[in-house]
Amino acid sequence: MKAQYWLALVILLTAGLATSAQAHIASNGFLTLQVHASELDGAVELAVRDVELAIGVDDNHDGTVTWGELRHNEARLQDYVAAHFSMSAQGSACVLRFKPLQVNERVDGNYAYLPFAAHCPGEARRLELGYSLMDGIDPSHRGLLTLVDGATAQTAVLGGANTRAVLEVDAPSRLRAFQEYLQAGIWHIWSGIDHLLFLLSLLLPAVLIRRQGHWEPVPRARPAFFNILKVVTAFTIAHSITLSLAAFEVVRLPSRLTESVIAASIIVAALNNIFPIVIESRARIAFAFGLLHGFGFASVLADMGLPSGARLLSLLAFNLGIETGQLAVVLAVMPLAYWLRTGVLYRRALLPWGSAAIAAVALVWLVQRAFLPTG
Amino acid sequence: MPRACGNHSRPRYYRGRLLWGALLLLMQGALASAAPRIPDSDSQVLAQLPAGVRHTSASTLEMSRSRIDIALPLARFYITQARASGDLRYLGYAEGMLSPWVHRSPAVPAALVLDATVLQSRHAFDAALTELDRALQLQPDDAQAWLTRATVLRVLGRYDEAIISCSHLQAQAGADIASLCEQSQRALMGHLATAYATLSSMPAQALPVQALAWRDSELGEMAERLGDDAAAERWLREGLQIAPRDFYMRTACADLLLRQHRATETLSLLSGYEAIEPMLLRIAMAQAMLADPALTRSRAMLESAFALEQQRGEAVHRREQARFLLDLQQQPQAALAAAQQNWAVQREPDDILILLRAAEAAHRPDAAAPALQFVREHALEDARLAAYLRPGAAT
Repeated sequence: MKAQYWLALVILLTAGLATSAQAHIASNGFLTLQVHASELDGAVELAVRDVELAIGVDDNHDGTVTWGELRHNEARLQDYVAAHFSMSAQGSACVLRFKPLQVNERVDGNYAYLPFAAHCPGEARRLELGYSLMDGIDPSHRGLLTLVDGATAQTAVLGGANTRAVLEVDAPSRLRAFQEYLQAGIWHIWSGIDHLLFLLSLLLPAVLIRRQGHWEPVPRARPAFFNILKVVTAFTIAHSITLSLAAFEVVRLPSRLTESVIAASIIVAALNNIFPIVIESRARIAFAFGLLHGFGFASVLADMGLPSGARLLSLLAFNLGIETGQLAVVLAVMPLAYWLRTGVLYRRALLPWGSAAIAAVALVWLVQRAFLPTG
Repeated sequence: MPRACGNHSRPRYYRGRLLWGALLLLMQGALASAAPRIPDSDSQVLAQLPAGVRHTSASTLEMSRSRIDIALPLARFYITQARASGDLRYLGYAEGMLSPWVHRSPAVPAALVLDATVLQSRHAFDAALTELDRALQLQPDDAQAWLTRATVLRVLGRYDEAIISCSHLQAQAGADIASLCEQSQRALMGHLATAYATLSSMPAQALPVQALAWRDSELGEMAERLGDDAAAERWLREGLQIAPRDFYMRTACADLLLRQHRATETLSLLSGYEAIEPMLLRIAMAQAMLADPALTRSRAMLESAFALEQQRGEAVHRREQARFLLDLQQQPQAALAAAQQNWAVQREPDDILILLRAAEAAHRPDAAAPALQFVREHALEDARLAAYLRPGAAT
């Protein structure tokens, strides 16, 4: 269990607690936007109570608004928002496409949450927003905007006399995309422990040499270095090939298949350390299975999407991120392995039992991924 | 660790992002909210609509724009609701009703006075004064306008001008109301004991019920400034009997109890008022005294509410925010900044107190200077300030 999950969980829990009673505050609408080149993701949030005032959703006039009532009025709500909220990039209007309505609980009660995707003509450099929600009903209503653009966030307050806001999204989008995808690559390899376990299984014996059915330490650093280099290079070339093919949608494999085979690849690599069959050419295992790991990486990229206009660059950045993350782990672990290689502990305990443990974990994954129903 | 069962097609990328997402959420404490969701059932209730919160058809709305006999009572209704519930959204609805009538020329005086009330409730005091002056130009004998004007000027510490406004009440509202208005100013100008004696000897029959609650509230505060906490509590409790929904008096009473470390009594006094920010602050302070675990929730709610106000660029509860930062968050520097921003907007004795306390906690005696200057200038008496006014106390 990683610390980061706990942290996130604790924060989500406390945030949830804060909303279980409601505070009286002035009327706010929340506008969140996330820029990816010419595509924007976002959401408009309007208090359910304000939605009632604006368009009337209490269909049975019983003084309460239920989810059913809100949902039945989804199209009217979207029309209302579309009529009172607009976005343009460099003077040309962006097209908003609403996604299914949700509900968000805030400090002053429930909000109708309208997620949308916006497509702007050209890259969004100079965004102009128009906001007149609750106009004529509550002049004190304000739209609180948060625009996330890579690592930076801008805020603005709309409403009242101030119905327009112009935001400069000034960081060059190619650089931003590059950074974003590089970071995603690094994160992916560090949090995707299965790829690392596969690689480590292949690298653990790299500081050893097999002689007459026994593992012996390599005499010098040079052969160990070349062993590592061969495995890492083979793995990198292989997964780069399939990642590119999948990213450009030349080849597509079902994720259940790739995820299962990735688990199987770890078992094979780990068992090969205990009952060595392939010794001199572990780089070939790295290459063969690396092809499948590439498809695994690609599924992440498919979720993120490649920004149009910077597809190749983003793919390159993501791959570079993976290599960077992978190299950092190799540099952290292998010198230690090299230093420990002469001891009995490494050869008799760490290598066999470590590999057995890895194989056991991977077996659980294999069962989960291949045979259990997906959620 | 095996992967969590479930979502295989949205893999690990999201785990890393979860951390950033969560941190972003934390940074935007203002926007603190659980994740958006799709409710399980159509029958799930999302909101209970309070009184007067119903969609009005465009034609009805249009009618209120053209008929003052519809707009004014509705605006009054919303302001009453805001006062009775502490719900700030009603102020916005009132403003919406009044807007066409205050922006025309000539404006409707009654609409200007109501608009000034809305602005005063939002602590937009200068804007409120402008509306009142416009109303009084059109209708110089409007008692409500003069009274609201006196109240606003007093909050701004402009007592001499406030007394002039009080004197205009004589003709329309009677000598007793005018005296009540004037004495409450004099009590801040070096005549505390005299004002207290005058008001406490005023026969109760002389005043209408609302004015009686007002007198009790003034006497309560005067007694507290005189250092007679027992008498202060008696006046405030009596006033609350008459006007239980007077939030100003209730918070004053809570502050009195808190100062005496009577946390449990504070909680029972404020029970049911959790939704109102200034009340919630006092509740949180009582919870802190009792080491009540419910403090976590109160604190988080206050934090969100203050952050939202800040983001909106409003100063409605800056004094409360300063107290929150000083007493509950132990952030004296931030508390001082809030107290200074508050001082730029309003100058009641509580505003002096928080500025002096924050300046002391932040080791910034220079920051207390404007408040000390104000106290000297007006010969303002307040037992609660004594500790900060002793020679050398602030240095």
